[in-house]
Amino acid sequence: MTPFLRNLLVIARRDFLAIVATPTFLLFLLAPLFMVGMGLVGGMGASQLADSARGAGRIVAIADAADVEALRAADKSLRAAMPREPATLEVRLASASLDPVAVAREKGSDTYAVMSGPLTAPRIVEREANSSSGRYLALIAGEVVRGRVAGAPPPIAPHFEALTHGGTSIAAQQSLGFGAVFVIFLVTLLLAGQTVSSLAEEKGNKVIEILAAAVPLESVFLGKLLGFLGVAILFIAFWLLVAIAGGFVAATQLDPAAIAAAGKPAAALAVAPASGWPFFIGVGFAYFVMAFLLLGAVFLGVGAQAGTVREIQMLSLPITIFQVGMFSLSAAAASAPGSRLATFAQIFPFSSPFAMAARAATDEGHGIHLLALGWQAIWVALVVYLSVRLFRAGVLSGGSGWKVWKRKRA
Amino acid sequence: MTDYSVEATGLTKYFDSFKAVDHVSLQVPAGCIYGVLGPNGAGKTTSLRMMLGIVDPDEGTSRLLGSHRPQAVRHRIGYLPEERGLYPGMKAREAIAFMGALRGLDWSEGRRRAATFMTELGLERVIDEKIRKMSKGMAQMVQLIGSIVHAPDLIVLDEPFSGLDPVNQERLETLVRREQARGATILFSTHVMAHAERLCDRLAIIARSARRFEGTVDDARALLPMQVRYTPRDGSDTVAALLPAGAERRGEAWHFAIEDSAVEPLLARITAGGHGVAGLSIARPALHDAFVHIVRQVDAGFDGDPEEDAIEEDAA
Repeated sequence: MTPFLRNLLVIARRDFLAIVATPTFLLFLLAPLFMVGMGLVGGMGASQLADSARGAGRIVAIADAADVEALRAADKSLRAAMPREPATLEVRLASASLDPVAVAREKGSDTYAVMSGPLTAPRIVEREANSSSGRYLALIAGEVVRGRVAGAPPPIAPHFEALTHGGTSIAAQQSLGFGAVFVIFLVTLLLAGQTVSSLAEEKGNKVIEILAAAVPLESVFLGKLLGFLGVAILFIAFWLLVAIAGGFVAATQLDPAAIAAAGKPAAALAVAPASGWPFFIGVGFAYFVMAFLLLGAVFLGVGAQAGTVREIQMLSLPITIFQVGMFSLSAAAASAPGSRLATFAQIFPFSSPFAMAARAATDEGHGIHLLALGWQAIWVALVVYLSVRLFRAGVLSGGSGWKVWKRKRA
Repeated sequence: MTDYSVEATGLTKYFDSFKAVDHVSLQVPAGCIYGVLGPNGAGKTTSLRMMLGIVDPDEGTSRLLGSHRPQAVRHRIGYLPEERGLYPGMKAREAIAFMGALRGLDWSEGRRRAATFMTELGLERVIDEKIRKMSKGMAQMVQLIGSIVHAPDLIVLDEPFSGLDPVNQERLETLVRREQARGATILFSTHVMAHAERLCDRLAIIARSARRFEGTVDDARALLPMQVRYTPRDGSDTVAALLPAGAERRGEAWHFAIEDSAVEPLLARITAGGHGVAGLSIARPALHDAFVHIVRQVDAGFDGDPEEDAIEEDAA
């Protein structure tokens, strides 16, 4: 191990432990629980509303005993082909006292449509004119009648064949790209901002002079970044584990039928980024690291110039705005892959990690990411180098005056 | 390999237009204890910082242990800054090991040595105590141990004695001597003359940004004439005629300064004068007096040059 790397790790180790081995870190680690908790409460309320609404909806067919089975069979075969699944079909035996309008007005459930009378000329009472429920009842009736007239049709044996490649739509890939931008941005926003105040500690307790005398400042800065990155990765790993564990628990609690019923999300998972899931996730993580290091280095450098806690607080606003700016740029680029804006966002160093992660969703090329990571790494080094120069010139040499613009004019 | 652990030549530093350090040169022979003395704000700390490469000099060069790049020999250097600082949340043992690790020492070895050092210095009670729970003096001792835990060849201590009680000052002196016996070179700054007088093999005096003296303690003391304290047995006033002009009577005794060459003639005169000798001491002035003398001389020089003074006040 080179001495530089050794120093870097000594600093990183100290910072990492100093952050992690405190009660405050627990609060920090669990902070998303509040968010999740809020979301759960809101979500539960919403889903309960939806559930009660869905469970209550129905359509009713009043039919003779001879037609009941045929109607049920027709409903079963047609239901699956509908673009939007119709409400539950309730079949009732016809009797003289059963009035379709009364049935339609029964309390306790939303009745969208009621069909009565002979199947060849059904009477359909609708809640709303020309509703899909009404048309669906008519369709069932038609199916039953057609079956009777034509006799049993010969069975068909369809052979399904799926496209394994190019099956994911460009729109889905773009939203995947946007998702990547958003996730990386959110995590960076939550975690990289901490680096602003990290050097304030050393300046406050005067340890900076020991560090500056003992090791190159570059390794102090990089070591701090690395320490914070370690904290960030610990944070992400913790929540990833929680999510996976939660997933397993959920999987064992739910029966397969319920999972199959939730067919829609499963279908969404079938969307694949152009570069493939494993590569996309891997490169996404690499871009997160780069985004963290790049923005973290900028914040660290800016924060190093600040003299007081108040100044650091003042600095956090422009810093947040800067981050949001990079996010907007990358988000715009993600929704317009191949455009000039996208190219700019991919090359501009501070938006590059976000924009390139989005590109991995829509573009198959793998080699370009290596190039981008290298490019971003150069910028990390450059920002650290400049921060150190400014810090040396301003803070360490300036005697009492720490500001850059107060430097000596000798 | 040179015979000097530190060779600083013409170090100069400006803070704005104020010349904080003005062409300071120091040569610290390997294996000696070297003191940098000076009044507050003379530029001692800035000079040390420039020598160690923490601050870049505007002019001049510094060579440590034969290398022009302090970073190249950093694991052979130990430094106690003037502004003491430790991470308050760290335990003493960890803090020492951390400082050792910064200088390339293995963590576990650092922890082991930390315990040894702290036990030797009577700090065994607080080995696993957090820094924030310690007294200022204790924390300073911890930091001092951290500065030398990696057994450096060159130890630079900026005002190491300030803030320590007499017992700890004594311990520190012992420690410094022991490190010298191990073969280390020790460079320290202070404005307390007693320590310098007891410890230093050589010293430099910095006042008003520039080096005003360099030599041994005896060299410094030799700058002033010897001081005589003479009490005649008969207590008569006529004895004044035998003494040099400017002799001053305080109580029974007469005080006056005397050149080296005038000692024997004086003794002959006193013996011949018949006033008798109830008490007589002829001694070099203490380092303290030499120091005050040098600093006053420098200040007098500045007072004679009002223009230069004015510039300085502008900058301050």
